[in-house]
Amino acid sequence: MLAGGDDTQLCRPELSEAEPTPRVLTILSFVLEKLVARNDQLTGQPPDGLGSVSARFGKTLNGFHGVREPSISIAKYLERIYKFTNCSPSCFVVGFVYIDRVVHRHPESLVVSLNVHRLLVTSVMVASKMLDDVHYNNAFYARVGGITNVELNKLELELLFLLDFGVTVSSRVFESYCLHLEKEMLWNNIGTAQKVERPITSNCVGDETEICADLEDSQSSSPPQI
Amino acid sequence: MAVAAYGQLNVEGLPSWGSRSVDCFEKLEQIGEGTYGQVYMAREITTGEIVALKKIRMDNEKEGFPITAIREIKILKKLHHENVIKLKEIVTSQGPEADEQGKQDGNKYNSNIYMVFEYMDHDLTGLSDRPGLRFTIPQIKCYMKQLLTGLHYCHVNQVLHRDIKGSNLLIDNEGTLKLADFGLARSFSNDHNGNLTNRVITLWYRPPELLLGATKYGPAVDMWSVGCIFAELLHGKPILPGKNEPEQLNKIFELCGSPDEINWPGVSKIPWYNKFKPTRQMKKRVRQVFQHFDRHALDLLEKMLSLDPSQRISAKDALDAEYFWTDPLPCDPKSLPKYESSHEFQTKKKRQQQRQNEEMAKRQKLQHPQQHTRLPPIQQTGQSHPPPHWAGPSNSYPPPVSSGPTHHQYGKPRGPPGGGPSRYPPSGNPSGGYYPDRGSQGGGYTTGSYPPQGRGQPYPGGASGYAAGPPNYSQGGQYGGSGNSRGPNPIGGNRTQQYGWPQ
Repeated sequence: MLAGGDDTQLCRPELSEAEPTPRVLTILSFVLEKLVARNDQLTGQPPDGLGSVSARFGKTLNGFHGVREPSISIAKYLERIYKFTNCSPSCFVVGFVYIDRVVHRHPESLVVSLNVHRLLVTSVMVASKMLDDVHYNNAFYARVGGITNVELNKLELELLFLLDFGVTVSSRVFESYCLHLEKEMLWNNIGTAQKVERPITSNCVGDETEICADLEDSQSSSPPQI
Repeated sequence: MAVAAYGQLNVEGLPSWGSRSVDCFEKLEQIGEGTYGQVYMAREITTGEIVALKKIRMDNEKEGFPITAIREIKILKKLHHENVIKLKEIVTSQGPEADEQGKQDGNKYNSNIYMVFEYMDHDLTGLSDRPGLRFTIPQIKCYMKQLLTGLHYCHVNQVLHRDIKGSNLLIDNEGTLKLADFGLARSFSNDHNGNLTNRVITLWYRPPELLLGATKYGPAVDMWSVGCIFAELLHGKPILPGKNEPEQLNKIFELCGSPDEINWPGVSKIPWYNKFKPTRQMKKRVRQVFQHFDRHALDLLEKMLSLDPSQRISAKDALDAEYFWTDPLPCDPKSLPKYESSHEFQTKKKRQQQRQNEEMAKRQKLQHPQQHTRLPPIQQTGQSHPPPHWAGPSNSYPPPVSSGPTHHQYGKPRGPPGGGPSRYPPSGNPSGGYYPDRGSQGGGYTTGSYPPQGRGQPYPGGASGYAAGPPNYSQGGQYGGSGNSRGPNPIGGNRTQQYGWPQ
């Protein structure tokens, strides 16, 4: 599902550079940066590596922890993923849903600066697998994300198990997350009222588009609390 | 059997999946094989419960976790019904290369993943393939009713199965039928405005709208397959055994008549209509061809095999059909005979073995003609077996073939040896319901008019050009597998003869 069938999105990354970054990326990086900053503070500043974090907050997200904080910012990292993989903007919303579900399922786990990048590339990749008819394979995402193929495959499985394979996102849940992200923007006075891209009503090409009215999601339709 | 309640939800808390190891199970024997793994019958060590373990092969590093597996797990997680196979849990096993990076918790992720299903003794194809076995009418009604009930449940839960066929309908020794193999299934929305791939459903069971290239479709596609199975059960063999898409369409038109704007409004707008429309007018011949069926069966079959999907009967309406409410009524599943386990994988093996034995016997006969008085080869693979305890309406049963312990040779290539008779349609997914056998038995797409990909739309060419290669299609080539030596006539017309029954 390439947003709105926009032809430029099918082009090489160099050509699409001129095109504006989808608003969802801006909002999402803002929301995540805020979350990470808060959690980093909780775990003690500066983050001092795997040992102490997991000692205090469980091992749920251990697999996603890097040894030190990557130098690339969340915003730049999201942009990089978007630019190179051409995944649809909805993948970022759904990826965010996945991260939020993991955190809800495993309340002891915290998204911090040490794991947020790996969490993002993995969840966006899984979202793209579920949503986009045309998507890159894990090997490509690994290169974009700056980790090895083997590691990304591990993280993919880890994420799927942490989610208990709850990868369906109904349109209702999708919409509630979009609204939540938009509200975050408004409350924090970032720009004017902006809407998150929602190209899900039509142009759902192919099998991988699985956002549709579902009867499940009873446990995961809770509004995101960050 | 009550129709599924709308929106039935599973609210019970399940243990977290993936937390247990496959070592909790003892593998007993292989019962199926697919391109990305095997299916085993296994026993849970602590409880003694028999289950089916479907292995998800993880050796395609570039692709990561197979998308079809994610899809199947995701869908089966939300379906809970007596007539839908139950996915009990996911277990892992330590792979040989585990711990290569020295991570203490990493073992699970270098390992094999297994889906744990409830064990089912048979699949419908394996069962109906038993030599000489003909289902009784109450038995057929019983299976059909369960099939429709399970499918109705899927459809109200917005799931299209998209691969309904005999080997995906599992039957246990309580007579319960369950839909299995949701690797091609997907959710749908009722407005039908999504573009879905038309490259689904095993050829012989594929409806005309998909063959004509429709990308907007709904539950009616599954109902066509149900119609094909229904007729197959009554007729004793597959009714539309096409070898490729054009031939499949032709067979459909010969049986159901040629489509036009009168019997199928809008047909001329379906993408490939002009390419495949029949050159001559054909009349509907369902009632002539199947004149030996009873009236109510014919009424129902005609509604299932409606060319126009919008006029095709729904699962719910089919359950209300006269057929299921007139004598002889569907029997109680529990009253059905208990057969020894038969999976297509096993019956096929047995058939292979049988052919080898026959060959051997022939050769021996040539060399030593006097030896023809020896027991026929079937006796070497089978065992004596008591007749089924069948309490239903009288129907003379042929002697059951035993499918007792056989010599499985898992290392051997699958599929019938060249030229041998085979029930499998080309480009299908011929394995048992636990595990798809996608691609390995392909060979269907022989015409140039069909794109070579598996599911998914043809790739928009402009997007390539990345150094790391083009975007991948999930399980590309699933139905476009390479050719396979296959007999020119895949119809099981001489099924009973294959077994060389003692006369």
